[in-house]
Amino acid sequence: MRQRSLRLRLLITFGLGAFILSGLFAALTYEGVHHVLVADSEQADLHESLENAALVRSTLYTSPPDLAKLLNSIERATTSSVLVQTNKLYLSRGIGANTVDVPLTFLATVRQGHAATQVLEINGQVIYVVGVPIPAVDTQFYEVFKFNSLERTLRLLMFVLGVGALITILFGISGGLWVTRRTVRPLERVSLAAAAIADGNLSTRLQVTQADREVQQLTDSFNEMVSQLVERLERDARFASDVSHELRSPLTTLATTASVLQQHRAELSPAGQESLDLLTADLSIFQSLVEDLLEMARTDAGAVPLAIETVDAVELVRQSVRSAARRHGIVEPPIEVAPAIDDPLISVDRRRFERVITNLIDNAHHYAGGTTAVRLDYERGQFAVNVDDAGPGIPTEEREEIFERFFRGRAAHDRGNVRGTGLGLALVRDHVRAFGGSIEVLESPEGGARLRILLPLVEEEPS
Amino acid sequence: MPRILIVEDDDHIRTALRLMFEGEGFVVDDAPTGEIGVALFSRMTSDVAIVDVMLPGMTGFETCQALRSTSDVPIVIVSARDETVDVILGLESGADDYVTKPFVPEELLARVRAHLRRRPDKSTNAFQIGDLHVIPDEGVVRQRDGVELHLTSTEFRLLTDLAQANGRVLSREDLLEHVWGYDYFGDSRLVDVHIRRLRMKIEPDPASPTYLVTVRGTGYKLVI
Repeated sequence: MRQRSLRLRLLITFGLGAFILSGLFAALTYEGVHHVLVADSEQADLHESLENAALVRSTLYTSPPDLAKLLNSIERATTSSVLVQTNKLYLSRGIGANTVDVPLTFLATVRQGHAATQVLEINGQVIYVVGVPIPAVDTQFYEVFKFNSLERTLRLLMFVLGVGALITILFGISGGLWVTRRTVRPLERVSLAAAAIADGNLSTRLQVTQADREVQQLTDSFNEMVSQLVERLERDARFASDVSHELRSPLTTLATTASVLQQHRAELSPAGQESLDLLTADLSIFQSLVEDLLEMARTDAGAVPLAIETVDAVELVRQSVRSAARRHGIVEPPIEVAPAIDDPLISVDRRRFERVITNLIDNAHHYAGGTTAVRLDYERGQFAVNVDDAGPGIPTEEREEIFERFFRGRAAHDRGNVRGTGLGLALVRDHVRAFGGSIEVLESPEGGARLRILLPLVEEEPS
Repeated sequence: MPRILIVEDDDHIRTALRLMFEGEGFVVDDAPTGEIGVALFSRMTSDVAIVDVMLPGMTGFETCQALRSTSDVPIVIVSARDETVDVILGLESGADDYVTKPFVPEELLARVRAHLRRRPDKSTNAFQIGDLHVIPDEGVVRQRDGVELHLTSTEFRLLTDLAQANGRVLSREDLLEHVWGYDYFGDSRLVDVHIRRLRMKIEPDPASPTYLVTVRGTGYKLVI
């Protein structure tokens, strides 16, 4: 199901609600007023008709020739038109009223001796016809009233109601907008803040503003939650950092005394010598592990800010590769610079960048038979450092996992005697991300793995 | 026999270091505090000093400054942290080099040996940089008014090394190898910090250097 916007839904609800309510109100008002006005008017007209019919009857009784005069006076006194049928003879003075307009059934009813009324609409004009039989003189009296003034009143009423409904709808929509703003905007702010926190911006908090109680509560509990979260993260990171810190001094003593023992190696028994070699070997693993843990704890805690500098990318890669190779006593891999590369600049923490390169070369050395080449190129508008090896490659399903802390892939299991810290690639990813870059695993031209770092290019001159 | 001063407050580490350096043929003076270290040094000058940064009382940085105020002895600081800011603070206080705990003992040994090996290079002819007169065989830099400018031995070596290159650009790696004598570690920050300190001393406007020029993508060169 498609997710609909809460904002849109609230607006539609308010708009539609206002529309239905105002429409209903207008319709009922119109119907009511219409009914009352028409009924009143009909009653008055009927009353008048009956009076006029009585006059006609008495005139016909007393002096029929005066009928025309009477009709004239009636018509002059009222706005209606009068029609009298006596002895099949129609007498009419009115303009719009003749038998054509009146249904035959109506005429028949009256002719049969029943008084009748009917509302008709002729050519968009509403008329009220009253028929009164005067059987004593074989005469039918009809009077036709036009609802002209009534129509105007009703039209005016309809116009007023329509405008009222429109204003109500507008109020409804603006009310909807207001409510939407009050409810949706805090939600949007929460969502933006949550996204910022997920991006690692842990100092993000919601602004405490004058707001509704519920929003205030949401803001408070959100901020409280983030504070708790940050506190816990910091506590964890501090703990890891403290532990590693505390390990340093005894570890330094251990390593130094082991090297003192190595100076006296010749004086030891064969068993003593073998034990010393094991001790020395594992001490160096222990040392790397503590270094990696410290580095990671520092990054996690965010305690130590990055020393970001704008540097020449190619030169830094050259230095880092050389330093990494020398530090680990391995052959320096060739660096291939693509022809397109033209003195690119990147912004990185130099020490951490060297660490990234060292770890990548180290990783290839341990698990993939060494780095075949470090290839530099542009890729998707960024500076790409490709560290290639000729090893077995990295299976697709492990390409994300290898960056997890303490992840041991197939390659690590196959080479049981190689013991890395399990933190190298995790550190690489953390550092690269801290520089605003990314890392991905591909295949190298030699059929092994290619670990590619992408770093954003910068424009400014190095200081 | 080379004489080494070790200032370290942790008894175990200090003892282990003393044993190791004695085993390597050093005469070792060890001190648990900066104050004692400086006092020992004033009585018997060492050839090289190792100073821990985290010391009770006088800090490692202050100890470095105190040693540096009387001597050009190579100083290696031992820092618990290797973030750029700590390294720069240490080098700014007058140290020539640094290692971070937990260090590999062989690396510390190699660095100390490298510092002992390098002596001021006296083979370079005297040369002029602007108003400054550099005389390598006397190990001095004289201003036009005859006042001598004080450079540490590392700074002096850096300067003469760049002068010997005859305007050629030297990479940070080259300088590390020549000046610090390392053949297998490198931290280019060492070079950058020392270049900056050198600029503060010899450049008329250190913010826009005219003699010690950064060449983007390559390294540094000396324009005379």
